[in-house]
Amino acid sequence: MNDSRTPAQHPGFYALLVLLVVMSVGPIVLMLVTSLRLNVEIMSDTSSLIFVPTLRNYEQVLCDVLWYEPKGIDSCDPTFARALGNSLFIATIATVITLVIGCMAAYAIVRFRFVGRDGLTLATLMLRMVPPAVLLVPVFGIWTFQFCIGDQCAAGTHWGIILIYVAMNLPFVIWILQSFIVQVPIQLEEAARMDGAGPFRTFFLIVLPLIRPGLAAAAIFTFRIAWNEFLLANALADRKTRTVPVTIVNSLTEYNIDWGVIMATGMLLAIPPILFTLLASRQIITGMTAGAVKG
Amino acid sequence: MPEIVFDKVEKRYGAVQVLKPLDLTLRDGEFTVLVGPSGCGKSTTLRILAGLETLSGGEIYFNGLPVSRLDPKDRDIAMVFQDYALYPHMNIARNMSFALRLQRRPKAEIDARIRTVAEMLNIGHLLERKPAELSGGQRQRVAMGRALVRDASTFLFDEPLSNLDAKLRARMRTELAELRQRIARNMVYVTHDQIEAMTLGDRIVVMHDGVIQQQGTPQELFEQPVNRFVAGFIGSPTMNFLTAEVVGEGDGLAVTGKGFRLPLDAATARRLGATGRRPVTVGIRPTAFVPAHADAAPLDLKVIVAEYLGASAVLATLCGGTEVLVETTATPLPRPGDVVRFGVPAGAIMIFDNDNGQRL
Repeated sequence: MNDSRTPAQHPGFYALLVLLVVMSVGPIVLMLVTSLRLNVEIMSDTSSLIFVPTLRNYEQVLCDVLWYEPKGIDSCDPTFARALGNSLFIATIATVITLVIGCMAAYAIVRFRFVGRDGLTLATLMLRMVPPAVLLVPVFGIWTFQFCIGDQCAAGTHWGIILIYVAMNLPFVIWILQSFIVQVPIQLEEAARMDGAGPFRTFFLIVLPLIRPGLAAAAIFTFRIAWNEFLLANALADRKTRTVPVTIVNSLTEYNIDWGVIMATGMLLAIPPILFTLLASRQIITGMTAGAVKG
Repeated sequence: MPEIVFDKVEKRYGAVQVLKPLDLTLRDGEFTVLVGPSGCGKSTTLRILAGLETLSGGEIYFNGLPVSRLDPKDRDIAMVFQDYALYPHMNIARNMSFALRLQRRPKAEIDARIRTVAEMLNIGHLLERKPAELSGGQRQRVAMGRALVRDASTFLFDEPLSNLDAKLRARMRTELAELRQRIARNMVYVTHDQIEAMTLGDRIVVMHDGVIQQQGTPQELFEQPVNRFVAGFIGSPTMNFLTAEVVGEGDGLAVTGKGFRLPLDAATARRLGATGRRPVTVGIRPTAFVPAHADAAPLDLKVIVAEYLGASAVLATLCGGTEVLVETTATPLPRPGDVVRFGVPAGAIMIFDNDNGQRL
C-alpha cells in the first residue's frame, strides 16, 4: 500500500532531466574548463577535453594580491584584482546601508500613523517598477554635475555607485521587510514598552531579532543586485572604481581578448554571492515568533 | 503603593465612544477585578491605566499626581498580557530579566530576583528554555513571573487565564489567589469570567457598554445587584428573569405572571410603595429555590431537563412558558415531564424596572 518508491519513469523523462542539467550547468563547466587553460590552447583548432589544467589565469587575475610571486607572468595587470575589491566593497556597503535604512523605514510605515502613509507604501513599490535604463541618463547627469563636494562629484566614486544601488534596492527591501514586521505580534512591542523600553530599544531588541529571516532574504537580494549590476556601474564608474562586470566587458577589445583571464574572473565573480547566500540563508528559519503569543 | 483614581476618564475612537466618562478609585493594596462582557471597555480601561492607550478626556491620578502623559515605564506598572507576549528569541531567564536589564541593575540582584520569583511560580527548571518549548500553562506562569520580577507597585492582568483549558484555568486561579495574599500590591485584573472575578477580587467593578454598572465586594454584587445586568452577569447558573406585574395582595404586594404568584416581603413592598399595577421583571437565583414549605411561596415548575452535577443538579424547568433554572440538592432527581413544587422565600425575590433595568 504505502510504496514510497517512485515508479520507473519513461526514458524521455531522464533525457529531459539530462538536457536541463546540461543547459544549466554546461556554461559553468565550460567557464571553469576554459579558465584552467592557457590562451594558446583555448584558441587552437585542436582543442580537446583532455588538457593539463593550469592556475596561470587565476594567478594573472590575482597577481596583485597573491602572497607569492607567480612564475611565468611578465607584467602584472592590477585591473581585475582591483575590480574584485571594488565589487566587494560596493556590494557589501550598499547592502548594509540598504538594510539599515530599509528596516527602519519599513518599521515606521507599518507601526506609525502619519499623513500619506498609504500613498508612501504604494509609491515605494511603484518606484521599483522603473527600469534602471530609464534612470541611467538623469542619474549620470545629476551624479556628474550636481552631486559634487568641491571638485569631487559623485560620479566615478565608490560612494556615487553605492548611493544609486541603495536608492535602487531600498523600495524592494522596505516592501519585503514590511511583510515581516507586520507578523511581529504587537503585544510583544507593548510588553517591551511596559518593561521600560523606548521605541528604539523596542525596535533593536525585540523587532529586529524577530525579522532576521526577512533581513537575510533582503540582504541576499540586495547583494546580488549590487554585485551583478552593469548598466549604472558602467556609466558611473571610472577606471579606479570599476566593478567586475564592467571590467570584464571593458577587457573585450578589438585587438586582444584574453578568454582565460576573463573566464577566471568570471569564476571568481561567481563565488562571493554563493558564499553570501549560503551564509545569509542560514538565518532564514521559519517560526521565529513561535511561542510568543497564543494562537 | 499608590491609590489610583480615574477622574472622568473617557475614550473615543473617532465617533465611537468606548468609555463614557468614568470615575473609579482603586485603593491601596486592593485586588480590583474589572469584569464585563466583551466590548464593555474593561480592557480599554486597563490599557489606559497601563499607558498603552491615550485617554480622550479626564485624568488618572496616582496618589494625586496626574499620570496620563507619562510613558508606561514611568508609571511603575507591570502587566501580564492575555496571550502572554513572551519574547520568542530569548530564553525564560532573559524574558524575565528584560525589564531589569533595561534598568541596568546589577547582575547579582537580577539573578537573585529571578530565582526567587521562579521558585515562587515553580518554573525554576525552565529558565534555560525558549517560550516555544513550554506548554500553555508554563508560558502563563512565565508571563506572570516576568511581571512579578519587576516588583512594580501595581500589577495589571489582562484576561491572563482566558487561553488556558478549563482545568488549568481553575488551578491557575487558585494559585493566583494564593499569590495575591503573599504580594501586597495593587492588582487590577480584567476578565469576562465572573467566577474568576468572584474568587479573586477584593472588589469587583462590573462594566457594560463603557459604563460602570456597579462596584463592590463579591458578596455585595451577588446579594444586592443594582440592576438587571449585574444580577444576570454575576452568579452561575445565571439568574432567572420572569416578566410579571405588581399587584396588591392582602395588606402587602405580590408579583404575578404566567404560572406564578409570589407575595413580596414587607421591606420590598415598602420600597415599591404605591406604584400600583405595573409591569416589572422578577429575578430569582437558581440557588434560591427551596423544597416547598410553609414559609416560602409555592411555585410549580415542569421539569424539562435535569443535569446531574454530582453534589447538586441543575434543573431546566418551565414556568408558564419561560425557562427557569433551579439548582437543587434534592434526591432522587425528578424526571423530565414531572411537575415539582418548589418554595421561593420572599427575601430571594428581586424586582427590576422593565424600562431601565434598575432594581426596585
